[in-house]
Amino acid sequence: MGKLSVNLNGFELKNPIMTASGTYGYASEYNDFIDVSNLGAVVTKAISLHPRAGNKHIRITETRAGMINSIGLENVGIDKFLEVKVPELNENNIDYIMNVAGSTIDEYVQVAKKCDENNIKAIELNVSCPNVKSGCLEFGTDENSLYELVSAVRAVYNGFLIVKLTPNVTSIEKLGIAAEKAGANAVSAINTLKGMSIKIERVSGKFIKTIVQGGYSGIGIKPVAIGAVSRLSKVINIPIIGIGGIETLDDVLEFFAAGAEAVQVGTANFTHPETAEKLVKELEEYITKNGFESLDELKKELRA
Amino acid sequence: MTKRKNDMKKIYKAKVNRIERVSASSHFIEIECEIPVKVEAGQFISIYCDGLTLRRPFSVYSNNNGRIGVLFKERGKGTQYIKSLKVGDFIDIAGPFGNTFDIQNKKALLIGAGIGAAPMAYLKEKLDEKGIKNYYAAGFLTKDEVPAGMKIDKICTDDGSFGDAGSVLNYLGVLINEHKPEVIYACGPHIVLKIVAEQGEKYGIETQVAMEKVMACGIGVCRGCVIDIKKDGKIVNATVCKDGPVFKGSEVVWEN
Repeated sequence: MGKLSVNLNGFELKNPIMTASGTYGYASEYNDFIDVSNLGAVVTKAISLHPRAGNKHIRITETRAGMINSIGLENVGIDKFLEVKVPELNENNIDYIMNVAGSTIDEYVQVAKKCDENNIKAIELNVSCPNVKSGCLEFGTDENSLYELVSAVRAVYNGFLIVKLTPNVTSIEKLGIAAEKAGANAVSAINTLKGMSIKIERVSGKFIKTIVQGGYSGIGIKPVAIGAVSRLSKVINIPIIGIGGIETLDDVLEFFAAGAEAVQVGTANFTHPETAEKLVKELEEYITKNGFESLDELKKELRA
Repeated sequence: MTKRKNDMKKIYKAKVNRIERVSASSHFIEIECEIPVKVEAGQFISIYCDGLTLRRPFSVYSNNNGRIGVLFKERGKGTQYIKSLKVGDFIDIAGPFGNTFDIQNKKALLIGAGIGAAPMAYLKEKLDEKGIKNYYAAGFLTKDEVPAGMKIDKICTDDGSFGDAGSVLNYLGVLINEHKPEVIYACGPHIVLKIVAEQGEKYGIETQVAMEKVMACGIGVCRGCVIDIKKDGKIVNATVCKDGPVFKGSEVVWEN
């Protein structure tokens, strides 16, 4: 393991730069731009028990400091993922974490079981999905339902379990604590912020409105994410993976300072597909240039 | 998918070689990449616009000696940025992306409307190179909107200020009867493509249409630009950026 290696509570990464779920497909697509095997890990699109077609209406729109998406978790489903995508990832030497989505606890559990049977080393739970059995309240917005979900997955999955926390709550600390208590090995924070864009045009004396509701991501959410990571780091003992508006090396250092052990690049992959690989190189150069022995030493000084 | 070598990376620094107004509201920009880039008719490139999150996709209009030309209209912040560029400026482009028009040795009718005239002009160039018989009809709002230097066989203007009066679609039946095309290619607003596809079905002629949608990744991963298509008796998602932008008119589920 090199200077950039990270040990996340027993899960080894060659460096702390990952890519966020939903922004990187099933990963090998990005080999057109970079060598994806250079990244710490890629987090796949959310995978559900059955294939999902996603939403019908307009799915994306740009905002002043990012974008809003409402894809609706379109994905190939766990069986096809295992059959087609996993061999592709392995063939390309890509370290990956499989993101999991579901609409009932049972769906998550069934997917997690299959991951366990197929030696998927790490999974990240997307808990921003509506729980259809509980009034469609999102799992990740209620401590009890989050605890119940994570415990159920933990019972069937022996690999590295990450819970991706939603910022759309009053106290993200309480949700982080619930995830830790239920047996998560790490949390990632934050998922997208709930938002809406209304674009107004006036055509022939009439207003034409284009409305997109969904998850807001991009540079605009960085301060929200840094705040969440910092508050979580004070109340939980499992590692935190920082996500939210990361584009530059300064962003990465700020997340480390706030308490993140690793980071995920999301929306920036769309703007500059080479971002994550560039950050790996820049972080390595920064560590060497400033005479740090290791990434851990850099983090320690940043938090002092 | 095989790993690409560095010199095949689909992202380039490109120098602006020409930028000029070619009609009342459209502009032509030609860029030169570090290495010559070959683009097929129907494909697009995406341009990073300073400070904006999403790259802007543009269908290719010309591709001479590895240089890429596109036509654009000023519509928002992205195209404002592109319009502000000067010869010698460097920009960041990615591509070429997407599938291509399926060029067959069949008599072709090409229909372009508005800014959608650009990729059709490039397709015409490719058909001419291959000696495939074709006829290109394009429609614009007014005479001022006809791009200078574009090779078009028949020009229509909505206000009748140039060429034939009215929408190019008004002439579709006549053009089909006159030229007896075996394939119709089209690019333009959604409604134009829908009508071309319907007329193709009516006359039993294959249609290929180039679609447009807001995109994020440009490579099929984010699933932001999907449309419904008919495949093996089912309705499935297809991404405009990767599965398209060119679709058979008969496979698209047309929205009203």
